[in-house]
Amino acid sequence: MIGLIAETFAGIFLPPFRRKEFIEQLHFVGNKSLVIIVFCVSFAAVVTILESSFHMKLVIQNDSMVPGFAALLILRELGAVVTALLLCSRVGAGYASEVGSMQITEQIDALKMLGIDPVNFLVVPRFLACVLGGMMLTVIANMTCIFAAMAVSESYLGYTPSMFLTSMHRFVQFKDIIFATIKGACFGGVIPLVACHFGFRCQQGAEGVGRATTNTVVVASIAIIVIDFILSYTFSHLY
Amino acid sequence: MTKFISILDEIGGTLLFLQKILGTLFKKKLKTHDVFEQIWKVTAESFFTTAMAGFFVGAIMTVQFAMQMTEFGALGYLGGLATSGTFREVGPLLIAFMLSGKVGAFTSAELGTMRVTEQIDAVRCLGADPMQEIIVPRFIGIIVSSFFLLGAGLVMSVFGGMLMGQAFAGVNFEEYLRHVPTIVNPISILNGLIKCFAFAVVLATVCTYKGFSATGGAKGVGRAVVATAVTTMICIVVMDWMTSFLAEIVLTMVRGYRS
Repeated sequence: MIGLIAETFAGIFLPPFRRKEFIEQLHFVGNKSLVIIVFCVSFAAVVTILESSFHMKLVIQNDSMVPGFAALLILRELGAVVTALLLCSRVGAGYASEVGSMQITEQIDALKMLGIDPVNFLVVPRFLACVLGGMMLTVIANMTCIFAAMAVSESYLGYTPSMFLTSMHRFVQFKDIIFATIKGACFGGVIPLVACHFGFRCQQGAEGVGRATTNTVVVASIAIIVIDFILSYTFSHLY
Repeated sequence: MTKFISILDEIGGTLLFLQKILGTLFKKKLKTHDVFEQIWKVTAESFFTTAMAGFFVGAIMTVQFAMQMTEFGALGYLGGLATSGTFREVGPLLIAFMLSGKVGAFTSAELGTMRVTEQIDAVRCLGADPMQEIIVPRFIGIIVSSFFLLGAGLVMSVFGGMLMGQAFAGVNFEEYLRHVPTIVNPISILNGLIKCFAFAVVLATVCTYKGFSATGGAKGVGRAVVATAVTTMICIVVMDWMTSFLAEIVLTMVRGYRS
């Protein structure tokens, strides 16, 4: 694992850079996941509003601070983490089964025979595409999420969008979106590394591919939660 | 347009499969031994994963709430709020995500392998009903074990929150736990349990269906696993919304006014 990470980081700066493959992977990560992510994140935003209003009423008897609080929660945690988990299930599982199939059909050995470094050939474009795609998708997801929260808070709690934005202005700073983007990039970088690690070590047969995919999703999810914790803790000192 | 039709096809297939499962469950004899075996297997396999995820979820929630609470000077409520948020909403959701990655993917891979290597047809040839022998035990196993795992995850989340509250906000354990009983009422816990049940049913149905209908060798198994992971994630988020909304409506009816 460590070796793969080191080789990937070295491979970023080594020629050849496969531009076409990178663009293709970016299309797979960004474009094809966009609809799913936007759809899911909107629902998550609705639930956030409902729950935070419930909690506010418990503690301070009214829900005047719900919009700001929900926006804060969305920007700091929810947008980035839900996006990353969805990407992990979709992109991570896809990469793992793809690379695993290549491994058991001996395509990776064929690459080595031809003198091509499989890490540089396979992992680096995917890694870069996932980092970039994770950043972009996190920003889009955050914006969608806030929009959905605005709509729900108007229909359900009776706050107009202007009230929502004013309340948001008090709670949220520009720093938050920068930090969310950094989080998205880190989460995106984890996914292909884990997926390719398990894909390269895939064993023969149908069971091997299934096991590689399962392991990828689990390890990447855990890694995302742990990294999220570390980054939250780090960023909390910077406010 | 064809894509839309194929999505509808998938939904219909899954629902018909669920109908078949429930029919088998209520009409035919339950294989108790297999059910217990599955419960044990699923719980033992995912216990560590969910406990660890729960621990970090509690820690994250506490860090996020602590920042806000210090602003309002209400650090006494930190433990209660973080725990309540985890119990009602974040805990079930994230544990369901974890389970969908671990149990869902594993089950669909296993069933897909069985399908591809023609073991399911072999069971049918021997005169047994594959639904009764293979699917229903897994279905019940996932649903029952999800409750155990949820419990483990939530307990660990409280521990994570306590440690983080001490390390990050300087709230000692006693102070952290003081407001938990006042804020976390039975309805909240019931809410979390209902959510967990809904997620488990969705997860069990989707992963068994996708595994059962896998075709085309090793690649097909890979495809089935990917499809399972994606579909369960989407379904879980949608179910989350539906259960939240329904709970709100039911509570409004019970109380007679809108909170």
